[in-house]
Amino acid sequence: MVLDLNKIQITLNATPLFSPISLMIQAGEVATIMGPSGCGKSTLLSAICGNLPNIFQLTGDVRLNHRSVLTVPMEQRRIGILFQDDLLFPHLNIAENLAFALPEKLSRSAKKVKIKDALDLADLSGFGKRDPATLSGGQRARVSLLRSLLAEPEAILLDEPFSKLDQQLKGQIRQFVFESIRTMNIPALLVTHDPRDCPEGQMINLGKNGDSNVG
Amino acid sequence: MKRHQRSRLGFFPALTLISFLSAIVIGLMSTWVQAFGYMPVIGFHHFSLTPWISFFDHPSTPKAIIATLVSGWGAAICSLLTTFLLFALSYNNRYWNLLQKSLAPLLSVPHAAFAIGFLFLAAPSGWMLRLISPGLTGFQTPPDWNIMKDGYGISLMIALVIKEVPFLTLISLSALSRIDVRRSIAIGRSLGYDTTQVWIKVIIPQLYPKIRLSIFAVLAYSLSVVDIAQILGPTIPPTLAVQVFRWFNDPDVAFRLIGAAGATFILFLVLLSIGALFFLEKVIRCLLKFWLTTGKRESQIKIIKLLSNLTIITLVGITTLAIITLIIWSFTWRWQFPDILPETWSLKFWLKGFTKLGEPIWNTMVTGMATALVGIILVIGCLEYELVLERQGRKTNTDKAFWLMYLPLLIPQIAFLFGVQVLLVILRLDGVWLSLVWSHLLFVLPYTFLTLGPIYRSYDQRMTDVAITLSRSPWKAFFKIKLPILMRPVLFSMAVGFSVSVAQYLPTLFIGAGRFETITTEAVNLASGSDRRIVAVYALFQLLTPLIVFFTALWLPKLYFYQRKDMQI
Amino acid sequence: MKYIYNTLLILLSLVISTNAYSGDWETITKNASGQTVYFNAWGGSDIINDYIRWAGDQVQSQYGIKVKHVKVTDIGDVISRILAEKSAGRNDSGSVDLMWINGENFRAMKDNLLLYGPFTQKLPNYRLVDTENKPTVLSDFTTKVDHMEAPWGMAQLIFMYDSAQVTNHPKNMPDLLIFAKKHPGKVTYPAPPSFYGTTFIKQVMLELVEDKSPLYDSVKKADFENVTAPLWKFLDQLHPLMWRKGKAFTSGAPEMKQLLNDGEIFISLSFNPNDASNAIDNGELPDSIRTYIHQKGTIGNTHFVGIPFNSSAKEGAMVFANFLMSPEAQLRKSIPQIWGDPTVLNINKLSSKDRVAFSQLPLGIATLTAAELNKVMLEPDASWVAALEKAWQRRYQK
Repeated sequence: MVLDLNKIQITLNATPLFSPISLMIQAGEVATIMGPSGCGKSTLLSAICGNLPNIFQLTGDVRLNHRSVLTVPMEQRRIGILFQDDLLFPHLNIAENLAFALPEKLSRSAKKVKIKDALDLADLSGFGKRDPATLSGGQRARVSLLRSLLAEPEAILLDEPFSKLDQQLKGQIRQFVFESIRTMNIPALLVTHDPRDCPEGQMINLGKNGDSNVG
Repeated sequence: MKRHQRSRLGFFPALTLISFLSAIVIGLMSTWVQAFGYMPVIGFHHFSLTPWISFFDHPSTPKAIIATLVSGWGAAICSLLTTFLLFALSYNNRYWNLLQKSLAPLLSVPHAAFAIGFLFLAAPSGWMLRLISPGLTGFQTPPDWNIMKDGYGISLMIALVIKEVPFLTLISLSALSRIDVRRSIAIGRSLGYDTTQVWIKVIIPQLYPKIRLSIFAVLAYSLSVVDIAQILGPTIPPTLAVQVFRWFNDPDVAFRLIGAAGATFILFLVLLSIGALFFLEKVIRCLLKFWLTTGKRESQIKIIKLLSNLTIITLVGITTLAIITLIIWSFTWRWQFPDILPETWSLKFWLKGFTKLGEPIWNTMVTGMATALVGIILVIGCLEYELVLERQGRKTNTDKAFWLMYLPLLIPQIAFLFGVQVLLVILRLDGVWLSLVWSHLLFVLPYTFLTLGPIYRSYDQRMTDVAITLSRSPWKAFFKIKLPILMRPVLFSMAVGFSVSVAQYLPTLFIGAGRFETITTEAVNLASGSDRRIVAVYALFQLLTPLIVFFTALWLPKLYFYQRKDMQI
Repeated sequence: MKYIYNTLLILLSLVISTNAYSGDWETITKNASGQTVYFNAWGGSDIINDYIRWAGDQVQSQYGIKVKHVKVTDIGDVISRILAEKSAGRNDSGSVDLMWINGENFRAMKDNLLLYGPFTQKLPNYRLVDTENKPTVLSDFTTKVDHMEAPWGMAQLIFMYDSAQVTNHPKNMPDLLIFAKKHPGKVTYPAPPSFYGTTFIKQVMLELVEDKSPLYDSVKKADFENVTAPLWKFLDQLHPLMWRKGKAFTSGAPEMKQLLNDGEIFISLSFNPNDASNAIDNGELPDSIRTYIHQKGTIGNTHFVGIPFNSSAKEGAMVFANFLMSPEAQLRKSIPQIWGDPTVLNINKLSSKDRVAFSQLPLGIATLTAAELNKVMLEPDASWVAALEKAWQRRYQK
C-alpha cells in the first residue's frame, strides 16, 4: 500500500499556504510534516482525508494505491485520522467505541474476539465495559488509535497526536502508535511542530514563510 | 477573601430560586385548594371532590383531552424529529445557512402574531388559495375545507412545530458548542460512516441529554398553550387549556372551581407526559444501543435529504409568507376572496397604530429591557458561582439546582398564575410595575439560561486567569476581558429574554391588573374583534419590536469588534 | 400599628361611602375631580375604543376625571380579579372602578355581592333613560337591575347577508334550514357558551317553542327535555348542513363577520343593528351587505356599566357613567360612523335641540329603521342560559 501526494498545494483567497508538496509514503512507513502552528499542516491533512472546508482550493493529486482519491467522499477513502484529542464517544463504553469501527459484515462473536484482541494488545484487557471518562489520558489515546485501526484503513493521518500527553507518556504512546502502524503495514503521515515526535521516515519541513524542504 | 467572594456569589442562585419557587408553590397551592372545592368568597366553605367530578363529567372533557394530547405530543415529537432530521441531513449545507441566518428573525416572531398570520395565509379563505383561485381551483368562494381549527388540533400542531423547530435548533446549536462536532464528524467519516450516520449515531445521542430540559419545556408548552390554541385550535371542544381558561372566565363563578380542577389536571397531564418522555428516552436508548454499533455505515436517504432541505425552505417560507400576508392586510382597505391582492389599499391603519401605540410600545420596551437586564445579571451571577464551586473542586450539583429554574417552563402557566394573582392581591402588589417585571422574569430567566449557559460554560477560563495575573483585579478581568469576549452570546441571550417578555400575555394581564398596556395585550385584544387590518398592524408592531432588538444584538458586537477577525462569526 | 392602620382605612372608607350615599350630585362631582377611573371594557373593536377615548377626554376636561380604558378580551377575567381581591379582603382600593357588563355576568356579580350600589338613581341623566318603553333597561336577562348598573346602549339580534350572493334571505328559523339546504356550508353560528351562540339558540327556542311561558320562569320548574325538544330537532337537522359540517364553530360575531366578508358564509349575526353599516363604511364588509330580523322579532337586551364593590374611585366612576348616559354622549354613540350603538334614552324626554339632533341621525346603508326593528323578544329567564349551554355541549361536543 502506498500513499502518494503529488504536487499538493492549498490556497486561500488566491494565497498558497505552502509551496507544492510531493511525497510518496510506503506501507509501514511514518512520514512527517513539521512546521510551526498555523502553517497549514492540519489543513493539509483535511485535504488528504477529504474534509477540506470549501473556502480552500486544492491543486495536485492524492493517490492511494495508485488510485486518485480526491473525488472520493471522505467516508469511502479508507484513510483513518487521529487527533490530539482522543474524541472517544462519551455515550458508548470502550468496547462499543471499538465496535463502532468494525465492519458491518462481521458476526457478533467475531467482533467480540477482535475487540478483546485489540484491548489485550494495548494492555487494556478487561476495559471493555468501562466508561471512557474513567480512563487516563494514555489509555484513551491507545483506545483512540485502536479504534482507527480496527476500521482497517489503507492509510492513516496523525494530527499532532502526542501534543497533549506528558513527556513520559509520550514516549510510550509514540512507540505503541508506530509499532501498531508497522504491524498493520499501512502508510502513515504525521504532522507535528515538535521535532522530538518525529519517527525515522521521510520528513518535510514547512517553513514559516511557506517554504517546504524535503529532508 | 476567597470565602467572602464565594458567599457573595452564592446570593445569586439563592435569590433566583427563592423568589421564583415561592411564587410557583403558592400559586399552585391556591389553585389546588380551589380544585378541592374551597373558595369561601363565592360560598364554598368545605373541601370536596365535587369540582373533580364535575370536571370529568363535563361533556367537553374527553374530547378536549384527546385534542390536547394529539396536538401537544404531536407538536413536541414532530419538532424534535424535524430538528434532528435537519441536523443529520442538512447541517452546514446551503439550506442550513439559510436556516441559521433566519434563526433570529424566526425566533423573534411572537407566537400570537405568527398564529394570526398563519391563519390569514393557510385558511380556506387565506392568501395561499387566493393566489391560485379561481384560476387553478375554480373557487369563486372559499371551499368548505376543515383544515384550520380541526377537531384533533392538527393545524395547531403544525403551527407549533413551525415555531418550535427554530427554538430547538438554537438550543441544539448552543449545546453543540460543548461537543466537538467538526472533528467528531471527521473521525466518524474516516471510520467509513456517512455524515448522516455520524449525526444519528454519534452526535445526537450526546446532544439529547444536553437539550432534554428544553424538549420537556416544548412538550409542556405545547400541552398547555392558550393563545395559539385560541386562534388555531379546535373549537368544540377547544383544547383543555383553552377550556380551563374559559371556565376561569365563565360568568357563572362556580365554574372557577371546575377550572381549578382542570388546571390541576393539565399540570398532572404535563408531569405525566414529561415522565413518559423520559421513560421513552430510556427505552429507545436501550433498544438502539445495539444498533449504534452494528457497523452499518451508509444511509439510503437521497429522498429524505431532499425532504430535509425542503423542510428548511418550508419553515422559513411559511413564516415569511405569514408575515407578508400580515403586511398586505395591514395596508388593505377592501380585500375579497378570490382576489390575489386587495382591491383598495389604505394607510389608515398604520397611521392609527402609530398614533395609539406610543404608550404600549413604551411599556413593552421598558419592561422587556428591564427584565432582560435583570435576567442576564442573575444568570451570569449563577454561572459565575458555579465556576467558583467547580474551582474549589466541589462536585457541583448546580445542574440539578438549575432544574428548578426551568420549573416555570415545565409547569403550565394556567396552573399557577391565578394563584399568584391572589397572592399579589393580598400583598397589594398587583398592578405594580415591579411585580410585572418579576412575573416576566419567571419566564425570561429560564430562556436566558438555556441560551447563554452552554456557551458561557465553554469559555476558556484561562483567559480570565491570565487577565487577573496581569491586572490583579478580578473585576477588571471580568468586565474588560470575559464580558467583551462573551458579548455576542450575552447580547443574544438578552434579546431572547426581551422577546420572551414581549410575548407574555397572561402574566401581563393577571399580574399587571390590566393596567399595563403592552403591544401584546393590545394585539390579543383586537384579535378578539373582527378587523383583520388593524390586527395585522398590531401583530406587525408586536413582531417588529423584538426583531429590532435581535438585530441590534447581532450587529453591536460586529460593530464593536469590526477590526477583530477572531470575534467575527 | 397595623391595627391602627386598618382602623384608619375602615374609617376612611366609611367616610367615603357615607358621602357617596348621602351626598348630592354636587358632592359627588366635587369628590370625583382628580380621580382616575379604570374602566374595564372589551377592547376588541377599534371604533369602540376610539369612542371610549373620546368620552374619557370629555370627562377629563369637564370634571377633571382621568379615564383609563383597561382593554379586556373577556370581562370574565375582570370578575376573576375582583373575586381575588374579595378573597384577599381588599374591600377598598380595588383595581377596577367601572366595567362594561350585562346578562349573566351582571347576575353573577350581583349574586356574589361584587357590585357597588344602588347608584343609578343618583345620576342626573338616569332620568332621561327610556324606562317606559325599553323594559330591558330595568331587567337584564330577567335579573332585576335595581339601580346596580347604569344603562349604556341597546342591543338587538340582527342577521346580515350579502345581497349580491343571496336574493331571498330567510324570514324565520325553518326558513334558515331551507336556506342551509340550498347553500350547504354557508350557514353557521358561534358555539355556546359564547353569548352570541347562546343567544342564537335562545332565539331558536323562542321561535320554535309553542308555549313560551316556561322560558320566563326558572329552568328548574320546567320539563327541560320536553320544552327543548324542538330546539334539538332543529339543530340536529341544521348542523350537517352548516359550515365545516358543524364540526368547527366560530368564536363569535366578530369572526363571523370575517367569514361573511370572505364569502365563506352567507349569513352572519350581530347585536348591533348598525354593525353592518358601520363595517361597510369602515371597509370591513362589501356594500352589498344588508340586515334583517325574523318575522316574530328577535331577542333584544341592554348593555350596562357597573361599579365593583371595592372601586377606589366610585365618584369618578359614577360621574363617568352619568356622562355616558348624557344626550351628548348617547348622540355621538348613535352616529353610524362613530359606533352606531342605539341609545337608551327616551327621545321625548330630551330638550328640543337634542330631539332634533337624534331625529336627524343618518340611517346607515344596511340599517333597518326603528319601525322595522320594533319587534323585540325578551330574553328568557337567566337560569336557562347555563342549562341550555350544558345540554348543547353534551349533545354536540362529545
